[in-house]
Amino acid sequence: MEFFKYISKRVLQTIPLLIIVSLISFFIIRLSPVDPLAELRLNPSISQETLNKEIRRLNLDKPIYIQYFSWAKSFVKGDLGYTSAGEKVSTKLKERIPNTLLLTLVVIFMTWSVGIPLGIISAYKKETAFDRILTVLSSIGMAIPSFFFAILMLIFAVKTGWFPVGGLTSYNFNEMSFGGKIVDITRHLVLPAFVLFTISLSGLQRQMRANMLEVLDSDYVKFARAKGLSEGKVVFKHALRNAINPMITLLGFEFAGLLSGAALTEYVFQYPGLGRLILEAVMKSDINLVMASLMMGTIMLILGNLLADILLMITDPRVRG
Amino acid sequence: MKKILIWGFIIILLGLCAKSCIRRDIPETYPKNIINSELENIAYPDTNKNVTINGVDYLQSQAPVGVFGGELVISTIGEGPKTFNPCNSKDNTSSSMAGMMYDGLVTTDPRTGDVIPQLAKSFSIDGNEYMINLRRGIKWSDGKPITADDVIYTYEEIVFAGLGNTATRDMMMIGGKLPVLEKIDDYTVKFTTSKPFAPFLRMLSYQIVPKHYFKPYSDKGESVFNAFLSPNTNPQEIVTNGAFRLKEYVAAQRVVFVRNPDYYKINTQEEKLPYLDKLVYLIVGDTNNEILKFEAKEIDVLGIRGSNVARYKIKEPTSDYTMYNLGADTGTMFLVINLNKDKVKPIKHKWFSNRDFRAAIDWAIDRKAMVQNVAQGVAEPLFTAESLNSIYLNKYIKGHPSDKNVALNSLEKAGFKIKDGILYDSDGNRVEFDLYTNAGALEREAIGVMVKQDLEDLGMKVNFKPIEFNSLVNKLTNTRDWDMAIMGLTGSPLEPHDGKNVWQSSGPLHLFNQRPQGWNGNDRLEWEKELDEIFEEGALKLTFEERKPLYDRYQTIIYDQKPIIYLYSPIRITAIRNKFKNIFPTPLSGLLYNLDEIYIGGKE
Amino acid sequence: MEALKKIFKDKFAFTAFIILTILYIIILFADFIAPYSSSYSDREMSYAPPSKVYTINEKGKLSLPYTYNYIREYEPTLMQTIYKQDRSKKYFIKPFINGHLFGVENGGKLYLLGTDINGRDVFSRLLFGGRISMTVGFLSLFVVFPIGLLYGGISGYFGGIVDTLMMRFAEAVMAIPSFYLLIILAAILPSGMTSVQRFALIVVILALIGWAGFARVVRGMVLSIKKEDFVLAEKVMGASNLRIILKHILPQTMSYVIIAMTLSVPSYILAESGLSFLGLGIQQPDASWGNMLKEAQEFTNILYRPWLLTPGLLIFIAVLSFNLLGDAVRDYLDPKSNSQS
Repeated sequence: MEFFKYISKRVLQTIPLLIIVSLISFFIIRLSPVDPLAELRLNPSISQETLNKEIRRLNLDKPIYIQYFSWAKSFVKGDLGYTSAGEKVSTKLKERIPNTLLLTLVVIFMTWSVGIPLGIISAYKKETAFDRILTVLSSIGMAIPSFFFAILMLIFAVKTGWFPVGGLTSYNFNEMSFGGKIVDITRHLVLPAFVLFTISLSGLQRQMRANMLEVLDSDYVKFARAKGLSEGKVVFKHALRNAINPMITLLGFEFAGLLSGAALTEYVFQYPGLGRLILEAVMKSDINLVMASLMMGTIMLILGNLLADILLMITDPRVRG
Repeated sequence: MKKILIWGFIIILLGLCAKSCIRRDIPETYPKNIINSELENIAYPDTNKNVTINGVDYLQSQAPVGVFGGELVISTIGEGPKTFNPCNSKDNTSSSMAGMMYDGLVTTDPRTGDVIPQLAKSFSIDGNEYMINLRRGIKWSDGKPITADDVIYTYEEIVFAGLGNTATRDMMMIGGKLPVLEKIDDYTVKFTTSKPFAPFLRMLSYQIVPKHYFKPYSDKGESVFNAFLSPNTNPQEIVTNGAFRLKEYVAAQRVVFVRNPDYYKINTQEEKLPYLDKLVYLIVGDTNNEILKFEAKEIDVLGIRGSNVARYKIKEPTSDYTMYNLGADTGTMFLVINLNKDKVKPIKHKWFSNRDFRAAIDWAIDRKAMVQNVAQGVAEPLFTAESLNSIYLNKYIKGHPSDKNVALNSLEKAGFKIKDGILYDSDGNRVEFDLYTNAGALEREAIGVMVKQDLEDLGMKVNFKPIEFNSLVNKLTNTRDWDMAIMGLTGSPLEPHDGKNVWQSSGPLHLFNQRPQGWNGNDRLEWEKELDEIFEEGALKLTFEERKPLYDRYQTIIYDQKPIIYLYSPIRITAIRNKFKNIFPTPLSGLLYNLDEIYIGGKE
Repeated sequence: MEALKKIFKDKFAFTAFIILTILYIIILFADFIAPYSSSYSDREMSYAPPSKVYTINEKGKLSLPYTYNYIREYEPTLMQTIYKQDRSKKYFIKPFINGHLFGVENGGKLYLLGTDINGRDVFSRLLFGGRISMTVGFLSLFVVFPIGLLYGGISGYFGGIVDTLMMRFAEAVMAIPSFYLLIILAAILPSGMTSVQRFALIVVILALIGWAGFARVVRGMVLSIKKEDFVLAEKVMGASNLRIILKHILPQTMSYVIIAMTLSVPSYILAESGLSFLGLGIQQPDASWGNMLKEAQEFTNILYRPWLLTPGLLIFIAVLSFNLLGDAVRDYLDPKSNSQS
């Protein structure tokens, strides 16, 4: 019972958060001089009348607070509205979210399965050459501007011909067999996933190293060692479990972080994901689309944190309360 | 041990440094010029003919007979189509996709630019009456016949009713009146305009849509109609009449078309076109990605610009593509000066409204360097408002090289004075203004840097400010608080009247002196008045010979008054894989206008 | 001093420190070291390759370093621009010439790293661009830290409803993905700005997205510090709240502040390059490493004009050095900490 009370309290807490996020983003977007109809305006064959029609459709002729309330009203009702090009925001998001989830999950899986072991090893071999080299190597990944790295990777793809140049599926995807489809998607995913992996690996590895160091230094590990348990048992049975707990909290953040950090990578690789969609929408001040995706991102962040908390409650009973 | 390693490392580093400092002077060798054959003299086929077989009026292509099958993969830059509704498309990608699926009554001859029949079998003009004869026996993709009812529905209930994009309706509004349609019989329609109107015939290229499929939606009003045929529509259900049908649309990735098996165009062996089974548009974000995709052989056609041309030209003899020089682009790049009285500061307005001041700028700008540096030689300097491939180009405007002395003289004439290399106007104000362009476009930023330098050589102070594209457009068309800007616009090489939104003083794109909405038209400049008259009159004259002098005059006015200073026009170079045959590129229509005739014939 | 010694025991950190010091010295004296000014441009030399500097002459003898000028030729059938060496005259590289550290005599052109599209010397612009790229992070930090410290300090010190409200707001700012916030903010920059103003505003914008996370951590630390005896004692003695926060609580967070500072500089350098990639950062004709790298994105430029990639290399070196130095500082101050920026 207490458990549900906790969760419902958390969910209720998110409502003011959503309101503040929406207010901040709505007003700064609308305050910007960016004109969502710029492309139409510059088209010599578009008449003033068509323009006026669009302005009315997008509510651009109304004061900003009215725009906000009409947006908020329909958002609460579950209606995300239309993009400035007249497409349904909900369908646009629906097209992109699975792709982004796919990429995000692949990257998280990769970073975790590499970053965690590396973090453990470097903590265990603290301040040896191995630890040092690992830290430097992972710093290298963090030091390249992501878009630039992505461009170099694309050129690599062209020069070797091993990987397709961006996108998610080949044009004859629908005629492929099931196995062929999987191979095709995998081939497309390799490069963007690799770029994102390189960028986010070092953060994870450092975090895990720090956690592990702290745990290895704690009394109960010392006690376990004193008891004469084998080193392997100490590390894996006692230290590891406690070091990983804080990482679960990180998972929630990482999930939302990839949404925003992946934008430039998605853009260069022409990956049909949410990041690129938002990026293009923000540049064009396509307010309904931006607002919907930002709300989506915020909800995902909150959900991620909530899930992490629940996981933590299950793995570590001390946290409760 | 460790010390030795570190010292070794340092020595190697020093050695590398020393190595890079010591270089022996050996004369360089340069690649020999590869003398490339001139662009082929293409043997164009005759124009299409009308052929009647078993009561069906086919359109017969005179191009060499090809082989059926295969696919062509091309790219479209941007976000992909926003609608497949031809009546509601407001951007280039959407219109060209819709154009693939729907044909209009007439089309443009790719070589001469004349209006020729397409969905119409023939047409005749008598003053302000246009008699259109439709083809008998041709069908929509669901098997229903295409008749005069569809034509009348398209014009009366969509175009004239103001549904979707109203551009065509506004253009057809002649002296405040729309044309009248009359159904003579099931296959004959008569359009009557209130006055003889030259651009009208070409406007009949507006796509004809099936009444039985569209009417349920158009009856429900604007919002339903605008959402109709959105990119997520099930492709199977779309009823079309074009050479290709939609097969699938994958958001942000591609649009796939398949051949319409019952298209009304046939080859000389009376087989139904098109040859290609499939036509794939890959949606790519920018030109860089497009080039990479062409390198990786993922796409078959590539428009090449600037420095890339040399790369592909050198590789051409050993590669699987051919490059075609299609001549100057229809797009123009220009510097526009804000002549607006309300929003520009009075001091600046005094300079900008001075013709000699504008002339000085024109003379100071070094177009040759722009062509050479920014476009890497793949461009032509431009001096006219019409693009270089326009059939209405005023050939008497020759332009001039840049000359700082002429510019300085011109400034002196206008009362400006230079003191210590700084330019002051006759009231002693320092000449300083802002120059905008859209940020992120490498070309425009480079041009801006050059213009800034050229003008600062005259003693002006130029604050060059690249800003975000959408903000720039907002400034130009809405808030109007800018001084100068570097912009580009696309034009039509065939119909100067399409530019009326730019040149008429009340037009929504009258950049250099944008008026607010509901403006009463009372403070027009002399030459603005003349431009207004030219565009009124030009549309009412019917023959090319009558219209040409008028449009020559408008270009002369722009060249003399210089509210817009044209810079250069890129040259279009397009590469296509050799396996594609029936490629007859023309400067007016480009390379891919005859997709229904292109076929794949063996490798060469 | 003791601290520095300890930090520099780490070889990587020491190397990083040396590299950064050299970089900062070079950009500080950019006007003197760079052979050309940042606005110098040679119309006839757009995309000229790096000047070749020879130290052994054509007869195979050692010589003082010299170079040749380039001549541009245009080959119309290939539509290709070719640069050829003008071997008629040698230009010797001389120190302290025309008020610069080194250069060639009048008439000669020395482009150590080639030129860009406008014929500007890439080497010189790299130095001037470094001034912006290497300082934008630090300047932002000077905006972030006072805001974050004060915000977190007040929120943590007063607690209760003030704390809840302030933290909800900070969380909301954090919840908006920072990169999009960055773009939106960059797009609302008033367009009629001078380059100095624009630079200052980009500093502020970068700061606006960084303060919230920082404030949150400070608040957490303040929460525990304020319960300590010396704070309570001050309170009893009647010190004002602001005085307690500024004088007694915030100094306690110093070590965290230093770590966070060194670790967050690189993210600002990267953020500036990302903004410039989208055309929203420092604008032409001013140079920054980010906007110079923009030119390097074209396929042919990467293939045929590798000298345009050098800003990317410098970003890489600077960010890597800051990371390594930051790691060492953190290890020294707080070996067990898991603070991330």
